[in-house]
Amino acid sequence: MATLAAWWDGDAEGVANMALDEALGAAAERCGRPLIRFYGWSRPTVSLGAFQKLADARGIADIAAADLVRRPSGGGAIVHGSDLTYALAVPKSHPLGSTAQLLYTAAHTALATVLQERGIDARLYGDRPTDDDFFCFSRRAGGDLIATPPGREPSPADPKIMGSAQRRLAGAVIQHGSLLLRENGGVGPAARHPGVENLCPRFETQALRQLADAWLARLAAAMATSFDWEPGTFSPPPHDELRPRIAAYSDPRWLARR
Amino acid sequence: MAAEMKFAKTHEWIRPEADGVATVGISAYAVEALTDLVFMQLPAVGKKVKAGESFGEIESVKAVSDLYAPVSGEIVAVNTALPGQLDLLGKDPYGAGWVMKIRPDDPAEMSALLDQAAYDAVIKNASH
Repeated sequence: MATLAAWWDGDAEGVANMALDEALGAAAERCGRPLIRFYGWSRPTVSLGAFQKLADARGIADIAAADLVRRPSGGGAIVHGSDLTYALAVPKSHPLGSTAQLLYTAAHTALATVLQERGIDARLYGDRPTDDDFFCFSRRAGGDLIATPPGREPSPADPKIMGSAQRRLAGAVIQHGSLLLRENGGVGPAARHPGVENLCPRFETQALRQLADAWLARLAAAMATSFDWEPGTFSPPPHDELRPRIAAYSDPRWLARR
Repeated sequence: MAAEMKFAKTHEWIRPEADGVATVGISAYAVEALTDLVFMQLPAVGKKVKAGESFGEIESVKAVSDLYAPVSGEIVAVNTALPGQLDLLGKDPYGAGWVMKIRPDDPAEMSALLDQAAYDAVIKNASH
């Protein structure tokens, strides 16, 4: 089985991140192996799901100060800036690429185990999906990662700390996800959700790279392979330049498609 | 199920009709795999598509999936009932759950698609 290649990328603007994630999907299809990149956001940004209504976002004063970008993947809006974002791309022919739930569950189960090892009572949500709130972290669907605050009894209403969503293309699957590290700053109360640090004050955000190491080891094991950190940051090959992808995600018609 | 129905590897089905138009939909296997459908974007009538090109999108709780044209041609009708009744895709995927009708540029493109037995083999492999 081809190894999982990983990049630890820096911060970038929303449209650049979306373009890079799309290029990651193309690269996974081309090279026939799973790829993952972790990244941040150079400005507070709200990413909308592929079909969320722009008017709904514009109508929420609590996120008015943030940039808006539309993802190619589905799901609810995510306020970025206090999270660890990842994009995982697998060829459609990969054993975990055949259905949405397989990849979703594999990624979340691996992280739940790693968080449990760090004393966080994290687990996969197993109840019925909740109504579609505007914000991803206010929604619950099967396989979402939730965590019980210390001293409390586990409940289906426990805070969601990671959500993911996919774009399923003909030759590859791109899975976006965010691990919420702490409550979002710079936005109003409606857009704030507790993160891992709020649930477990001993959680060391400074050790994120080690957390990613442990997560990737478990995720790779679920893929019956291993993983390697690639040097530098992810950049597509010259023949797959980013400019057209950045232009597409910068196009106001994309943001306003619904 | 009609014998002349063909399938794309991307799980769309296509059935030629008597008037030279072909009806396109999503296979029962694909609909079941999508689960919990929440939104669908249909193409515009009159749009020209090439075989293998995305003509629409469908969103489930976990994912957005592209729908791919099994053949090249002009889209002459879409099932406008679907976005409001996504359950039709699961209840009757080869009937009331049709997605669009296309006038193929080259009916010979149909021969490159999978027949029922070949498609069954594809989904059997995908399940293992």
